[in-house]
Amino acid sequence: MIVENTQTQMRKGILEYCILSIIAKGEIYASDIIAELKKAQLLVVEGTLYPLLTRLKNNGLLTYNWVESISGPPRKYYVLSEEGKIVLEQLDKTWQELVYAVQTAIGERK
Amino acid sequence: MNKTIIININGIVFHIEEDAYEVLKAYMTDVKRHFSSSADSLEITTDIENRIAEMFNETLANQNKQVIVETDVKLVIEQMGSVEDFESVENDEAKPAGSSTFGYNTERRRLFRDPDDHLVSGVAAGIANYFDIPAVWIRLAFALSLIFAGSGLILYIVLWIVIPKATSRADRMAMKGEKQDLKGFKKNFEDEMSMVKENLSNFRQEARPFVYKVRDFLGDFFTHLGTFLRGTGSFLGKLIGLVILLTCFGLAIALIIVFVGFVAFGKTDIYHIFPFNIVNEDTNMVFLFGGFLLLAIPLLTLILVTIGFLFKNATFNRSIGTTLLCVWLASLGAVVYYGARASADFKEGAKLSKTINIKATPNNTYYLQLNDAKYLSNEDSTRLRIKERFNGMIILDDDYNGDDFDHQDRVRIDIEKSDVTQPVLVESFTARGRTDEDALINARNISYRFIQKDSVLKFDRHLERLGRTMWRGQELHITLKVPLNAKLVIDGKLDRNLDLNLYSCLQANTPQNPAGSVYIMANEGLQCKIDTAALAAAAKADSIKNHLVPDTAKTEDQ
Repeated sequence: MIVENTQTQMRKGILEYCILSIIAKGEIYASDIIAELKKAQLLVVEGTLYPLLTRLKNNGLLTYNWVESISGPPRKYYVLSEEGKIVLEQLDKTWQELVYAVQTAIGERK
Repeated sequence: MNKTIIININGIVFHIEEDAYEVLKAYMTDVKRHFSSSADSLEITTDIENRIAEMFNETLANQNKQVIVETDVKLVIEQMGSVEDFESVENDEAKPAGSSTFGYNTERRRLFRDPDDHLVSGVAAGIANYFDIPAVWIRLAFALSLIFAGSGLILYIVLWIVIPKATSRADRMAMKGEKQDLKGFKKNFEDEMSMVKENLSNFRQEARPFVYKVRDFLGDFFTHLGTFLRGTGSFLGKLIGLVILLTCFGLAIALIIVFVGFVAFGKTDIYHIFPFNIVNEDTNMVFLFGGFLLLAIPLLTLILVTIGFLFKNATFNRSIGTTLLCVWLASLGAVVYYGARASADFKEGAKLSKTINIKATPNNTYYLQLNDAKYLSNEDSTRLRIKERFNGMIILDDDYNGDDFDHQDRVRIDIEKSDVTQPVLVESFTARGRTDEDALINARNISYRFIQKDSVLKFDRHLERLGRTMWRGQELHITLKVPLNAKLVIDGKLDRNLDLNLYSCLQANTPQNPAGSVYIMANEGLQCKIDTAALAAAAKADSIKNHLVPDTAKTEDQ
């Protein structure tokens, strides 16, 4: 249980960073985000993505455009807002620091 | 062939099979509940719904079909993830009002007849599932309720008609309150598999709980009984049915005779009989009719069902059943209502007391007698034309209806010692009523005649209720107070009113007084007058006996 809990906490922290990174590559649809996350084995089910996207959007990091679709209702295509880009840059920096910290810690252990 | 439903997901129309719809609906309900605590609930669920609609569209296009089936829904849910999956990714601020940890809750359950765990039609098992208790209790309750005029049977049949059978797997899960997502399906599927396994082999029979063993036993019993009945031909079954039918007919006829008898003949007489004496005459017909229907309808149902069984025709269908039940409930309501209204008339009590002076006789002897002349009111006298037709005759109160029925109007007489030489009679009337005032009026409307003729005191056996006063617990308690050493000669006919053993006293009296048992008022109360010589002899005999007993005991010891 403790292991699972820690894993969940770790994933949670980097999930938002990854989502922002994926969206930063260009306008993207939710199921395509999922496809990338699945490939990275970060997230398995789609349902969990929507609350995250909604929250990031409400925090002003994302915006979306409605795009008509042939296979169903109009789709939301997400893009980073200006604020989102700034936040992402900060996160990039933090991530580099984390990578260094973790590598140092692991290195010392080995 | 399956029934399909047309649904609309955010403006897009789908044809979906009923089972699939149930699963989808349960899933969406779960999702909505999960996000209900979040401020963005609407937006999130709309996103999810839109995505589901898109996935359905893709499925239909890819497989070139028109209807969404259960598998499609399951696949979509698998891709979208269950509520548990959401929870594992949630972060602290959006914690849902977690309900999943509390296990079963009945509000999500639906009432179905359980086809997997049934003795008759699965009604009891379905109810048990709904309340999450063992089915055996519900069955026991139904069995017990059969005692009460078969009301349980009617209820059971109606529930059988009304409650749908759990046909689909989604129904069964809704019935047992399980989550209708993949996890639930897996559990359900595993349950089914294990049930099949159990049926295939009897190895695990011993490990099964007692209730199932009993069920198996009953199942076997009825199966064997069925085979037996088929084996010996349906003759025996029909014979039993015929016996039931004839018994029911007999009871029904008896019931009708009693009812008609009450209505036609009893018009006045039944008002002396409990419980009819407590209800107003106007409402009594409703009460009577309600009571009749209350008993007749279960009988009629049994007759119809038996006929249906005997002649294999469905005389007992849904509409007849519903009608009968409604009428039965209405009659039950009427009986309960009037019963309750009448019993409200017994709420308050009142008491009146009246003291009558009795003329003292010189020899201090009083003869207590029953006044057996029938009491006739002025109207009665006129109606019977007493003066012309019964001139010079006395009409006796022969206590014809003085059986157990009208003991309520009987008068109780106690005899006590008076502190003064003047003997008195205290009449204390009590009655009940809806209000204090009613009770008081009911008490005042009691009429009682006490007559003194020289040394003869005559008592009526009953009190009379004046006018149309109903029986409201009217009672009369008479206390006769006589001075010390007064001699009372009490007529044996007063036996029912007095708390004295008149007969044994009469036997003890020597010589016996033809007018009745003789009592003397002593300091410690009323005593039967016993000849002193005889008493002394008896006492002597007793003492001899008492002396002899220890002596013999001694000899035995040695």
